[in-house]
Formats: sequence, C-alpha cells, structure tokens
Amino acid sequence: MKKLTYFPGCSAHGTSEEFDSTLKMVLKTLEVQLEEIPDWNCCGATSAHVMTENLAYALPMRNLVLAERLENDTIGIACASCYQRMKVTKVHLDANPELARRINSTIVEEGTYEGKTAVKSMLQFAYEDIGLEMIKSKVTKPLTGLKVACYYGCLLTRPKDITQFDSPEYPMSMDRICEALGATATEFDYKTECCGASFSISNTEVVENLSGKILEMAQESGAHAIVVACPLCQSNLDMRQPDIEKHSGKKYGLPVFYITQLMALAFGYPAGELRFPKHIVPVEGALSNIGKVVPAPEKVKKPTKAVEAESEDN
Amino acid sequence: MARVGVFVCFCGANIADFVDVPQVVEEVKRIKEVKYAIEYKYMCSDPGQAMIRDAIVQHRLTSVVVAACSPRMHEKTFRKALSDAGMNPYLLEVANIREHSSWVHQKDKKAATEKAMDLCRMAVAKSIANEQLHEISVPVTKRALVIGGGIAGIQAALDIADARIPVVLVEKSPSIGGKMAQLDETFPTLDCSQCILTPKMVDVASHPYIELIPYSEVIELQGFVGNYVARIRKKASYVNFKTCTGCGACWQKCPVKVPNEYNCKLDKRKAIYTPFPQAVPNKPVIDAEHCTMLTKGKCGICSKVCEKGSIDYTMQDEVIEREIGAVVVATGYDLWDPKPYEEYGVGRFKDIITSLEFERMVSANGPTNGVPVRPSDGKVPKNVVFIKCIGSRDEAKGIEYCSKICCMYTTKHTILLHHKVHDSHAYVFYMDIRAAGKGYEEFVKKAQVDTAATYLRGRVSKIYKKGDKLMVRGEDAQLGQVVEVEADLVVLATAVTAPKDNPELARLLGISYDKYGYLSEAHPKLRPVETAKAGIFLAGCTQAPKDIPETVSQASACAAKVCGLFAGDTMKKDPMISTVNTEYCSGCQNCVKVCPYGAIVTDEVPQGHGSKEMRTVAKINEGVCQGCGSCVAICRSMAISLAGFTDPQIINEIVSI
Repeated sequence: MKKLTYFPGCSAHGTSEEFDSTLKMVLKTLEVQLEEIPDWNCCGATSAHVMTENLAYALPMRNLVLAERLENDTIGIACASCYQRMKVTKVHLDANPELARRINSTIVEEGTYEGKTAVKSMLQFAYEDIGLEMIKSKVTKPLTGLKVACYYGCLLTRPKDITQFDSPEYPMSMDRICEALGATATEFDYKTECCGASFSISNTEVVENLSGKILEMAQESGAHAIVVACPLCQSNLDMRQPDIEKHSGKKYGLPVFYITQLMALAFGYPAGELRFPKHIVPVEGALSNIGKVVPAPEKVKKPTKAVEAESEDN
Repeated sequence: MARVGVFVCFCGANIADFVDVPQVVEEVKRIKEVKYAIEYKYMCSDPGQAMIRDAIVQHRLTSVVVAACSPRMHEKTFRKALSDAGMNPYLLEVANIREHSSWVHQKDKKAATEKAMDLCRMAVAKSIANEQLHEISVPVTKRALVIGGGIAGIQAALDIADARIPVVLVEKSPSIGGKMAQLDETFPTLDCSQCILTPKMVDVASHPYIELIPYSEVIELQGFVGNYVARIRKKASYVNFKTCTGCGACWQKCPVKVPNEYNCKLDKRKAIYTPFPQAVPNKPVIDAEHCTMLTKGKCGICSKVCEKGSIDYTMQDEVIEREIGAVVVATGYDLWDPKPYEEYGVGRFKDIITSLEFERMVSANGPTNGVPVRPSDGKVPKNVVFIKCIGSRDEAKGIEYCSKICCMYTTKHTILLHHKVHDSHAYVFYMDIRAAGKGYEEFVKKAQVDTAATYLRGRVSKIYKKGDKLMVRGEDAQLGQVVEVEADLVVLATAVTAPKDNPELARLLGISYDKYGYLSEAHPKLRPVETAKAGIFLAGCTQAPKDIPETVSQASACAAKVCGLFAGDTMKKDPMISTVNTEYCSGCQNCVKVCPYGAIVTDEVPQGHGSKEMRTVAKINEGVCQGCGSCVAICRSMAISLAGFTDPQIINEIVSI
C-alpha cells in the first residue's frame, strides 16, 4: 500500500466536495493510503501572494513543514490553486536557502523546513506515480463511446519552471488517463486557455466570455463532456454554463466532470455514489454515450507495392 | 659587462597619473648594469623611438628595457627600433607597467609605483641574460582547403583558384550548392536563385585549379599556418564517379522511396539519387541507410540497369590526405526547429510550415511545381499568415539574436504568394521590420503596396483549429487589440542557427566558437574573416547569420586573405621556440604527450660518441612549435629550453625582486 500525504484545500470541503469524495474512492481502488496533513491551513491563494511576500510563502510553508512530519515522499494536492502556491513556495525555498531561513523564522514554532517532500497535483501523482498501466488494470466498466475534452486550465502545468510536469501549452496527461479509462479524448486546442478564474465573483462577464469560448471549442471538438482537475475550472464551466447559454444564445449542455468521477465510474463504482446531483449541467445525456458502438473509420487499404521506406515525420 | 638602457613611458596620463614615473627612473638607475634611464611622454611615438635608437649607439647598450604598455601592443614597434639601431631585436624586454600596474592599481599610487619598479627590475635582470635570436623561415604549401560548398565556399574557392592557387573544396553532401540551391528567388531583386548560382557551380567543377571532393568530411587537421595536413573522409557513394555518366537509369528504376531532404521532405526521392537535377557533380550516390541491397541484401536493380557497371555495393569509406597552407571554413547554417512553439500547435497542425518549406513549394522545380498548397488537403491556400521571429529574438524559447534575413525573405514570400496565387491575401505578424541594406527598404515598401499584404505589429499567442482553418490569434500592438486571423496556411520564419556540427569542427580545427555554435572571428570589427588561429578564415553564416551579398563579400575577403598569405614562398616565424639538449634528454617522451601542437617527435641518437648503440630522444619540429613552454615545464631532466625564456632569464627575474 502506497502512502500519500494529502492536502485537500478549502474547496474540497465545499464547492468541490465531489472531487474530494471521488478522489478518496479512486485512490482506495488504486491502493493508495491518504494521510491528511494535521491542522493544515489556507494556502494563501489568491490574496496572500499579491499582498506580502512573507505571507505568500509562510502560509504554504507551514503546510509543508507539517507535511514533512508525516514522512511520506509526496504531498498530493487536489486543488490546482493550492498546488500552485505550495509548488511555487517549494521551488523558491529550495533554490534560495536564505529565503527559506527568513520565512521559517516567522513560523519557527512549527519546526524547521527541510524540503524533503515532493509536491504534486493529484493529476501528476496519478500519471507519474500510479501510472497508466495500473489505472487501466482497475477498469471494470470502460467508458467506451464517451468523448471528452480534457481541460487543464492555467495552473496545473504552468509555469513550466515551477510545475516541471507535462507540456505547458498542450498537455496530454489527463487525455492519456481518459484513454486508459476507455474514453476518447478529443483534439481540444483550448485545453490551457483561461476560464476567468476568480473573476467569477467580481466580474462575471469576463468569465462568461472566456469560459464561453472554452465551451464552444469543446463542443466543436466533438466532445460529450469536459473533464477537469481543478475546482475553480469546474465551477466556472459548470455553474456559469446556463448563463453563458442564455447570453450567447447557443446551446452547449456539456457536463463538467472531475477526472476522479470518471475514474470511479470506470472502476465500477455505482453512478449514484459519484455525487452527480451536485452538477448544474445534467450528466445523463453525456453518460448515455458509454457503451454505444462507434463505427471505426474505414481505412483505405494501400496496394502492397514495392518496398517503401516511410519516415515517421511524413 | 652588460649595459642596459631603460626607457619609461608616461603613456600620456595612463601611466603617469598612477605611477610616479620619475621615481621609477631614479630607482632603476641604481641598478649597476643600467647605464642609461629616461622617461618620456609617449615612447611609441617617433621622437620616443629616436631616443631609444640614439641611446643604443651613444651608450653602447647591450640590451634595452621599455617600461610601457602590454607587449601585445607595441613589442613589434620597439623591436623594430632596436633593429634600426643595428641591434638584435630580441635583446628587447618590455615591462608592462600599464595593464599590470597603473590601470589595475589606480587607488594606490605608492603601491603602483613600487610594483612598476619591481617589473622594471625583473625586465632588466631578464634582459641581461637575453641572447641574440633570429626569425625562422618556414616554407608554405600554396594550396587552400575550403570546407563547405554553399555559396560562401563556392565564391571563396573560385576567387582563390582564379589567382592560380590550387583549392581543395570539401562538401559533405552529394552536391555543392548549399541552401542557396533550395531558394526560388532572391531578395531584393527577385533574381532566380538557381540561374545565378548554377553557373558558378559548373565553374567550380570545371576549374583547373579546383579539386572538388563531394560527399566528404574533414576529420583531422594537423600542422600550422602554411603547412597543414588535412585528413578527409570520403563517404562511400557506392557509385564509381569515374565511369558514371549521370544518365539517371538507376534512380528512375530504384524502388525505394525516401523523404527528400532537398524539398524539405515534402516529397520523396529514391535510395540512389542526386539531390536535384542541377547537382554538381551530377553523379548519384546510394543512401546506405535506406538502400535495401545494402541493408538486407535484396534488390540490386540499379546495378542491373547501369550500362557502365558503375555500381559497387562493396565500396568503403576512404580517408585521403591533402597538404594545404590555409583553410576557409564555410559550413553555412541550420534552421531552428520550431517544436517548442506548442501554443501554435507546431507538429500537430499540418498546415503550419516553415519558410524554407514555403520556398520549396513556390520553386518551379519544387514538390508542388511552384504552387503553394496546404499539406493537409493539397488545396491552394487563400489566406496565408506569415509569422516572423520564430526562435529569433526569443530568450524564452529560442535564441536572443536577430536572424537578420527573415524580414527580407518574408517580404519576398508575400510577393511570391501574390505572383502564384492571385486572389490570395498575406498577413504578416512582425516585431520590427529590419530592412537595412542596399535596396531593402524600398523592396519592403514596394511589396507592401503591390501585394496589399496586411502587416500586423505584434506577436502571435495562439493558433487553434476551427474546421479546416487555422485561427491565428495575436496582438495588434498598434491598435492595442487582440486580433484573430482565419488562415489556410501558416508560414513560420524560423531562426537561423549555427550548424550543429560546428563545435566538433571547431575542436578539430583548433579554433573557437561562441555560445550559439557560430565560429569566432579574431576581432569583431577589424579582423572579421580571420580566426584566432593563423591561416584559418571564416566565410558566410558559419560566423553569424547573413544574407547572400554579405556572404559573397566575406568569401571574397577570405580569398584575398589566402592570396596574401601565399604571396611569398616562405613565411617568417618568431624564434621563441623550444630546443632539446639531447645530452640531457632521457627519452621519457612526457613532452610528446603534453605538446598541444603535436610539434614534438622522437629521434634516434648514438648512445655515446662513436657508439653504434642508439637511444631515443625528443625532437622539436620548429615549424610547428608555438613556444607555449609546456614541454619545458614537464621535462624532468631540464633538457628542453625555450628561446627567449631560458632558465637563466627566468632565474634572473626571480632573484631581482
């Protein structure tokens, strides 16, 4: 049994409660034991790092120091924003011992930061530490027939120097996981575009505009649904969808799943346990595609003529 | 008894402001061998040199010390002054009290003065042990090696050969012509590239003074200026060039198709091929990687159809040697791979191509017969977006420098597009338009009017697919707006980069290269074609990105340098070289191992006077020795001595302070 230190973040107990609960189901199947950081605190997003340097580092650092006491190799973080703050802090502190000493002095009663625990998003953990083979081996109800657009948002793979995971512009890890589950990942050029993030509250029009384009491109790619691994992406694309449809006059009807919900579904958990009623956009339409036989595109057979040396790039 | 004269220079204020020059003069006068000492404002000036000449005669000096700037600056000047006074020029010593004292100790005049005194004492002591030395004459091999057969190498080879100096031109691919042979038309005059290049290629092949060695690489260079030996590996072509007539039966019948490098892999060539119809030499080679006869032993069709029996599957690589006196390096450039531009979907979208691919498409002899098409569906594009500075001026993904030619060839591409597809429209995303050059700005202006191309100042941030179109999103910085252009085809002006083999080539030639891999010139302004190694010159993009006119000018400059080098029958060389005292030499050969120039060989001498028993000793090749002194330091028996830096000279220096 693999052990993983867990940092749920505040949204896991609220808006993304279904991410948290399905994540726990999935990891149980994948033989990973979660150990939640005791007495964890807010990561500081998004106010701390625009206000003071000390607070921006000290809040995540306290979590990192507490996590080190658990002595696991890795911290898995559900929320993309929490992941971002924790990873930025880790990369900067590790590269700059003087900074680490200075910030550590403000939380000295919690212990000394050593930098020995890796910080990963749950997506990265699933892709790198669990691996596609393991995921595939647990699939009992493949999602064949379901076409999904994998949406990564801005924080899971960017900036490259901080995340050090997947491509910053056209990531494929979530696409590969969806394919391992039996689903089809569509070619989706908007997978790292901005959804509008926290403007959802202060300037909803911006979010409707940006998220609207993402929905439009997802629909154009032929997807039945969007898959995400970030609570804020999920809430913007799902919760704002009816308003976007109303204001643009277009109809999308694209449910927005957490990757863990689809994993749980493919691992055989009953749909009733996956908290689908929490979604604004109904999921049933999309899920009805599972199991439908997709006719394979007919291949034009080439006449087998003389030896031909084809190069890969042609 | 030695009679030393010391001449201390003020160098205007350079030395005098931080070193008390009169005090230095007073101090050196106290040394008993110093018979004359004087200061002057500028020792290197004519009156300064006259003071030295007069003093040598009047005071019957046996050696001279000039305390002034670095010997790199004026050692030659002062040596000549000694010669003019009838004195052996190597009896001069320079005490560098400028770079080594006044410039670096500006905050402490007292200490700088003391250090200057020490430097003078050392020079005086050393000069007492100086011996008369004489320049060495080295014979010159009057043959030049040109590496690379693009337009730079072609021009250099022709200019040198026209001066009746034999040239060996080595080209790594099967034909000369280089990148210019791939171009359709050239800016700013829209001359047909092939039409102006191929006559020169033919001239190379038929020139009595040029030996063209295609499909070959230089693998070693030994020796020194005027006397190099180059080893050249001729790659096995599997075709006997002597009997082959270039009839083409072999490549017509060859069943193996391979992506065609000449057409940027947009179409196929055969496994036995000439790169393009105007190739020089117009003889095919077999691509050993893809030929099924060579990989699997199956086929043999080309051998069967060849009437001359020129195909030889057993051919091996061959290494040949050429004695040469000078080298022109003209290895050209590579193009940057735009893969890091993931936000553009490079590699995912077939309808994003590079400028050279576009160039091949619009070429009459190109893969699409001169009409640009979309690689995805073969349709002729209407809206074409050109994006400049792909990799250039991009610290994050590419390189910092400007590739210099992209602004101009992109302008040319908008014209060619307009010519080939009349109802097309070009959009150009640019950072700046850099059109410095004769007729360049006019060319850009005229193209903008004639083609009505839309120029958008700003960077492209994303390309995505919508239906079968590519949506190009960028900034129009002049409007301060984000714009989206619907494109059928996107052309990326990728950066010019140094050939990837340059670092390895630089190592084998013993020359330096910069952080990008471009070969380094000796001086960025005043010696732009020379390298730091005597007798090796640079032409074309291997030194930095440049256009055709500049490349040709530099190649001709190289030719002038080579001709100048070969003007005399011998070359003069400084006599500061090592000699071996065979009496002391134990034959350990440690010196052979440390010599960076390969100047030390072994020799046999009799064990003793009249003895028939022989023993091994070291022997210095005086033409090759550069006087670095490594052998002197490693020699355990103190058998090696470096002229001008003998043990008595060095010990005198040490004892004097």
